[in-house]
Order: sequence, then C-alpha cells, then structure tokens
Amino acid sequence: MIVESRELRMKHRIPVVKTERFWKGLEEGKVFKTVCKCGKSYYPPRAECVCGATTEWAEVSGEGIVECFTVVHSIPAGYEWSKPYRIVIASFGDVRVMGWSNEELKVGDRVTLYTAKDESGVWKVWFKKV
Amino acid sequence: MRKFFNFFAVFIVMRVGVVGAGCSKFGQRDVTIQELAFEAVSEALKDAQLSQEDIEMSVVGCVGTRGYELMPAVVVNEYCGFAGKGPIRVEAACATGSAAVYTAYSSIKAGIADIAIAIGVEKMSEVDTATSAAIGGRAGNYLWEFHFYGTTFPAYYAMHATAHMAKFGTTEKQMALTAVKAHRNAAKNPKAHFQKEISVEDVLKSRMITYPLKLYDCSPIGDGASAVILASEKAVKEHGFDPVWFESVGYSSDTSNMSMREGYVGLKATRMAAEMAYKGAKITEPLNSFDLATVHDCFTIAEIMAYEDLGFCKKGEGGKFIENGESDFGGKIPVNTFGGLKAKGHPLAATGVAMVYEVFKQLREEAGNLQVDLKHYRALTHNVGGTGHFCWVFILGR
Ligand SMILES: [Zn+2]
Repeated sequence: MIVESRELRMKHRIPVVKTERFWKGLEEGKVFKTVCKCGKSYYPPRAECVCGATTEWAEVSGEGIVECFTVVHSIPAGYEWSKPYRIVIASFGDVRVMGWSNEELKVGDRVTLYTAKDESGVWKVWFKKV
Repeated sequence: MRKFFNFFAVFIVMRVGVVGAGCSKFGQRDVTIQELAFEAVSEALKDAQLSQEDIEMSVVGCVGTRGYELMPAVVVNEYCGFAGKGPIRVEAACATGSAAVYTAYSSIKAGIADIAIAIGVEKMSEVDTATSAAIGGRAGNYLWEFHFYGTTFPAYYAMHATAHMAKFGTTEKQMALTAVKAHRNAAKNPKAHFQKEISVEDVLKSRMITYPLKLYDCSPIGDGASAVILASEKAVKEHGFDPVWFESVGYSSDTSNMSMREGYVGLKATRMAAEMAYKGAKITEPLNSFDLATVHDCFTIAEIMAYEDLGFCKKGEGGKFIENGESDFGGKIPVNTFGGLKAKGHPLAATGVAMVYEVFKQLREEAGNLQVDLKHYRALTHNVGGTGHFCWVFILGR
C-alpha cells in the first residue's frame, strides 16, 4: 500500500546582485568573466577574489577550443520544453566556458561564442564552429 | 612528569577497526527510509554481537533530496534505537556514505567514542525519473550550470567520456565491458538491484541517456541502506572483536563548477585522495598491494577513469585494463566483485558504507560465491561524490 505525500512546490528567488553585470551582459550579447590584480581569473564570474580583493569585469571573446561535450536525451524536470540538447565546455585562454550548441561540435573544434535566449526565455551562452 | 606523559601520549596511534557490517537489499524497495535503515543496522549489530546500548555515537549519512523526509537523521536514528546518541547527519553527494564512515572514524580517533555506527541510507524511488534527474543535476553548481544548461549527473560524466574518447581512443565497447562485468558479479549477489547478466550488445543497443552514455552505462535509481560499526583498539580488546582495520584514509575535493576544472579525462579529487591514502599506508605499487578494490562506477566511464586515477594503470590505458580482464576475478586486481554501483545499485548515501561492508566481508572471507583469494589481506574503497566534487579512499586490512 502506498500513500501520497502532501505536495511541496519549490521555486527559489536567487539574488544575483553581485554578478548583475554578467546577467545584463548576456542580454547585450556579451559574456563576462572577472579578473583580479593578483592574477586569478574567474568563470563563472565572481565579484570578490578569494584573496579578498574586488575583481574587475572583462569580456570573454575570440576563439575557443572544445574540451568536451554531451547531448542530453534523458530530459530533466525544468527542461520539458526542450528537444535533446548539446552541452559543450570550451576553453578561452585562462577560463573555460559552458554553453549550448545547435551544431555537431567535436572535441578539439574551434568555436566562437554568442548569447541568445533558449525556448524557455533564459539568456545563455551558445557556441558556433569557426 | 604529567607533562612528559602527555607528550608521549600524542604519539600512541590508536587504530580504528570495523567490527560489524550490514547491508539491505538494494533496488525499488517498498519500505520507509527508517525501516530500510533498520535492515542494515540490525544486521550490523547482530554481526558485531552488540546491542544499541553499546553504541556511543551514531552518524547518519543521507543525501535525502529525493525522499519525503527532508531531514531524515532523527527519524532514522529513533527507529534504529539510537535516540540520544548523535545523530550527526552528513552529506557529500554520492560520497555521503564515506563521509559518514569518516565522521564515525574521526569521533573514535578523537577519543569522543569507543564504538560508533555509520549509517548510509537513501530512498531514491519516491519521485519520478525526470525529477530525480533534475535533483541529480544539482550535485554541482545549480546557478551557473544546471540553471542555464540542464547539466544532469549523467551529462557530467558523459562530458568526461567524450574527452577521454577523443584523447585516448577509449571506445563505447570498452566502457560496456565494465557494465558486463558488473552485471556478471551482481548476478551472484542476492543483495544486488539487478541479478541478470547482460552482453556488450545489450549495452551498445540500449537507449541513449546522454551521449555517449546509454541506459546500461548508468547505475540505476534505487533504494538501499548500509551500516558499519567502528571500534577503537581499546574496545576491540575489551569485546574480543575480529576487526578489519583502517590502515589509512585519504580525502579530497574539487570545484563545484565543471567549467573550473583543469581537465576532463580524470578526477583530480581521486588522484589526491589516493595519494593521501597510499602515503598513509606506505603503498608504492597500488596494483600489487590489494586483494580487491571497490571503485566508484556510477557510470562505466567512471570505472575506467578510476583505474587510471588510482594508479592501477597509466592515464589513458583504462580501456585496455578492462579489455585485458585485469579487474576481473583472477586478474591483477578484482574490482567491484559485488556488482558495483552499476549493477548492485547506487542508493547515494548507502554506497560508501556498502563499499566498506563489501571489503569487510571479503577480508573476513565471508563473501561466499563472490570471495576472492586473499594474499595481501588488504583492500581499497574508492567513493566519489558528484563528479569528483568529493572523494574518499579507504585502505582496510586484516
Ligand atoms: Zn585576487
């Protein structure tokens, strides 16, 4: 015999005040990392370095190299609207960036990044082959 | 004089031993989390010939995000008869079980308790698969990865698989061989989730989950519990236990964001934890030091990377290692003789504790038809949390 629990719905309000530059940047077609005068670079960006200093915003641009990828066929809750999607991690100098791609990218391919909304209306990073 | 005595007391190494172990049947289980935990706990108590009164500290490992009890430690602790002792609840994703064992071990090392129990329990089958996938995808960094890109747990390992395939020519067939081995062993293990042998073709033809990982490359979503009782050297003498000793413990961790990792052909946390454990037990040749090893094969590629990161073979040669049968019975180091996470099952928090259960049984020559020949009387457990977010390596000997 099975009994059903009372329903518990959770949707969180996430404060992104300290990284707002990044979130606004996506809507402007820009992808930001942060850099610190101590030499560290951060992607995903963070407003403060582990050394304690305040970091500075810098754009990620140019060509990257695909390090790994996958195509998700078993779709998780929250992505019901999506067909199978390709996740890619590419290196851009001192940082690695995660994104989606509509192209059949392989490890070692050279890519550039751009930003666009997905079908659920979320702005994100995408890659295209050079 | 007293000061002098204390100075020397620091250098007396008190060993910690496993003196009892229990494990539930893994799989889709129609029992509550506390009932499931009690199956393992009562077996462990009986095994050690102890009762609840003898236990001074209880540690409850549970990831807990898929069950209806969101804060299950007290529920489990009460049902098992340990109210008033602990519970300390720990969480380290898929390595929660090892975190629980490590916490119990530490409490004995610190002199807080002489006899402690570590319980790992997980109910994963109470929510649907899509919800489970969305929860598993949060075993990393939700905001920067799952939120944007839907990085499920298999997706994280699949990305390592594509990197490994590209760099070393590792094949889907080699990965499939680890699943075939796991199912072959699990078929002889009555506690395993699956008791059915499969072929390489079965794996290769199974439904795509996240390229290149197919259904049979993935450990199942299931329920399970395991418990181990740990005792100080003093308690071992007093009770006359026949223990399996911790020879050393290694631990490490890595970044939550996959994009912040140094590379994707192995897990740095495994390499660091193994280095620490090998140093502690003075092991210089990992391939020739153990009678068996349990490695974290949540996905087939994970087992191949584990061979390499634990130093059983060179980086990039993991595919050949399984192909040559080195990790099978009769090979250089039998790996996951119990059926692995892949086929015995991977109820998150139960896994790390169950690994200690398995090597405890083996080292006491109580593993029945899955018993390996003992020469070194030493075994290794390797438990990874998330995708190398946490790692524990235990070396146990008798
Ligand atoms: Zn800095």
